[in-house]
Amino acid sequence: MSDTSPINPMAHPPCKLACPILTDVREYVQLIAERRFDEAFATIRRQNPLPRVCGRICTHPCETACKRGQIEEPIAIAALKRFASDGPWKNQYKPVLPDKPSGHKVAVIGSGPAGLAAAHDLALLGHHVTIFEALPVLGGMLRVGVPEYRLPKNVLDEEIQAIVDLGIEIKTGVRIGAQIKLSDLFEQGYKAVFVAIGAHKDRKLGIAGEDQFEGVISAVSFLRAVNQGQNPKETKKAAVIGGGNTAIDSARCLLRMGAESVHIVYRRSRDEMPAAQEEIEEAIHEGVQIAYLTSPLKILGEDGKVSALKCIKNELGEPDASGRRSPKPVPGTEFTLDVDMVIAAIGQAPDSSLVADELGLTERRERIIVEGPYTLVTTRPGVFAGGDAVTGPATVVEAISAGKRAALSIDHYLKGESIPAIEPAKDVEKVSLARSVVEKTRKFPRCKKISLPADQRLRGFKEVESVFSEDLATKEALRCLHCYLGARIDAEKCVSCLTCVRVCPLGIPTTSKMGEITIDPFACQACGVCALECPVRAIDISLDPRTEIAQDIKKAMSTSQHSGPVIVGFFDLHGNFDSSDVENLRQDYPHVLPVMVFGLRRIDTSDILKAFECGADGVLLARCPPESDPFPEATDRVKRRMAHARALVEALGLDGGRLEICDMPEQGLVQKELIDGLIQRIKEPGQVRSE
Amino acid sequence: MITLEQKKFEEIEKMTKGYSRLLVLGCETCSAMSFAGGQRQVEELASAIRMAQKTSGQEGEVLEDAIARQCEPEFVDLIRDKLAGCDAVLSLACGAGVQLLSERFPDKVILPGCNTTFLGVTEELGVWSERCAGCGNCILDKTAGLCPIARCSKQLLNGPCGGSMNGKCEISKDVDCVWQLIIDRLARLNRLEMLEEIFPVKDWSPAGHGGPRKMVREDLKS
Repeated sequence: MSDTSPINPMAHPPCKLACPILTDVREYVQLIAERRFDEAFATIRRQNPLPRVCGRICTHPCETACKRGQIEEPIAIAALKRFASDGPWKNQYKPVLPDKPSGHKVAVIGSGPAGLAAAHDLALLGHHVTIFEALPVLGGMLRVGVPEYRLPKNVLDEEIQAIVDLGIEIKTGVRIGAQIKLSDLFEQGYKAVFVAIGAHKDRKLGIAGEDQFEGVISAVSFLRAVNQGQNPKETKKAAVIGGGNTAIDSARCLLRMGAESVHIVYRRSRDEMPAAQEEIEEAIHEGVQIAYLTSPLKILGEDGKVSALKCIKNELGEPDASGRRSPKPVPGTEFTLDVDMVIAAIGQAPDSSLVADELGLTERRERIIVEGPYTLVTTRPGVFAGGDAVTGPATVVEAISAGKRAALSIDHYLKGESIPAIEPAKDVEKVSLARSVVEKTRKFPRCKKISLPADQRLRGFKEVESVFSEDLATKEALRCLHCYLGARIDAEKCVSCLTCVRVCPLGIPTTSKMGEITIDPFACQACGVCALECPVRAIDISLDPRTEIAQDIKKAMSTSQHSGPVIVGFFDLHGNFDSSDVENLRQDYPHVLPVMVFGLRRIDTSDILKAFECGADGVLLARCPPESDPFPEATDRVKRRMAHARALVEALGLDGGRLEICDMPEQGLVQKELIDGLIQRIKEPGQVRSE
Repeated sequence: MITLEQKKFEEIEKMTKGYSRLLVLGCETCSAMSFAGGQRQVEELASAIRMAQKTSGQEGEVLEDAIARQCEPEFVDLIRDKLAGCDAVLSLACGAGVQLLSERFPDKVILPGCNTTFLGVTEELGVWSERCAGCGNCILDKTAGLCPIARCSKQLLNGPCGGSMNGKCEISKDVDCVWQLIIDRLARLNRLEMLEEIFPVKDWSPAGHGGPRKMVREDLKS
């Protein structure tokens, strides 16, 4: 469900603010890092009814905003979403329907991402929803626009089924406006309608030969046919006109259907191309040729069929209304491409003619007018509209956002309440990190996505990208810099001792002349050194607060049912281990009670004593391998603190050997010999430690 | 600031033995900044005492608290209620704080958890050094801003002595000869002629040699 409270840009990470549905990216990335995959999925799924779709085809504005992008490369957020949403744990998530239905019937026109998201949220709000879909299949553009190799149909089927299972009634093959008017729906007892009919109408090229020869086809019709398993026309050499994602999708489909050569003809240069960069790269990788700065002039034909495309080269002139430099043809540069097929992919528009007599439309009579982008109220009471039908072609996550907003507006409307125009997050300016912080931050390369080799791709429509392995996913999630989850100072407790200023590995805390300490919550990366060293406990870290570490120790101790020596094991999440290693540890060594932390930097002497105090017979601290440690400079500090802890333990008359500090192995949590040695020393105190 | 050092645990353990309800009380200014007795050290020490008691089979309770400064009666009085049920307090303040607790709570056992060391500066995190002896009569204007009372092993006023070797004091190669530093600094400031003024015999009465010191400001007191 959507959050209706106003957004305070100072409290939220840039990934969240960049997302149209304000996905709690940071939270689920952190849960993946903690190997809590089911909770990561639940976090995603609560806000997004189509997580597996978004994990594959979202344009991920979150990644563009990611702070890591200022260091080397952003977190692979979309790939992490896919990892969290594809795993077997996804089936554990069960949305909770209200006990009592509202008794209201709501019609949703269109089953694309906007319609599906609205239906989902409306059902969760207790309303009875019926989806009307003109096509025989559900999914809108997700079904008939996005090719199988980017979004497998079975994935879409499963996501849609989970939404339908909320008790949503489906009526396919019904074209609202033609067979049934909007007014009829109200007569049938529907109290509100959400129009989300998408943008399925292709724009014409407007050049000679377009309507004359066989072999000229619109991208929407082409992709619709391909996505329904048909081959509209055998082709050897094809040209696709346009530079958006639809053009790229069409070109990549053509290669998979056996075309020998595919040219994309685009009038501007690559910099202006609206298609996603990675899609362009994949297309080129697969063999699509792109003629930049080229405009089609005329389609030529022989025997009633397309035979060639006459083109002209352009140069870029002054920026146009869209801010992009407008192409100007260069006289004398005409040339022809021998092709037997031309696909027009120069944009789509909503097919609003069917609702034109009932709803207000924009001047070109294409898009449906809404009162505001947040209420989605149309000119007709009880009718709301959103998605591509209102905005023109946009992204899947924008459509989902519209659907969610519509659900909220409709809910208010049905309750007879005024519809709040939710203040959008103000366009948050990208906050730049200080150069010194960028330089001091340890670089970790972004995990590469795993793709099919190009030759295997073109044999069919098999999905190109694979899901991250658990290993890669946790590694990638651990690259997160935890914006706004870092150090918080309690001004009442702070005594201006300057310890934080002195220990921060990134030099982030600053002091005024009067000793007022400031820690930039955006720049801080939550290493926790200041929180630990602060002598008056005036600082804590939101990532894993000290109180939580203390609770984790108590919780771990309370789960102990073993009669043998009990060992509290602090493990650094940055180690190379997976959930099976944790499970194996539990089985092999029920003595060892694991407490997972984002770095041993977080563990103080008092935490170690606390573990002993709670009844532990031994304490194990496992450092992550140095190559995985984001703050290796703190290692020496950790070691010296442990020496202090050991001295204190010995002063207490305990064998110092009960405290073991070790490095984690290359793979796994801890070497068995180390645990065995620790257990041995607990049983027979006074033995010499191996270190 | 006043620097402090927590006593060795063995000593603390011995002095806290036998109390059934002990309050470990931190002092959040100088002692905290010396990493001797702020909230963090209170947690650590209380935990250690509890464990020591457990090991020795002693039944008892160890409470934790901290106040901004144990040298101020108003702060000290804020723990009166908490103290009511305790039979002893382990104060992690300087000697001044410990004694104010003793004065405010005449019926309680007050124990010192720290040794008060000196008036000094932080050289870097974890390193402090003495700069002022609190002698009550500052002469830094005449000694290039470097104090021979606090920093000369013999507290010489007309140094250096014959034990100054290569800028170091004869007591240790790690101790700078402050008179060498004074001369170097006066040379740098082009004020070497100041050394020609001979210090008379120092009057140590403001330094406490005339008995315990007390300061009264008639304009301020109530």
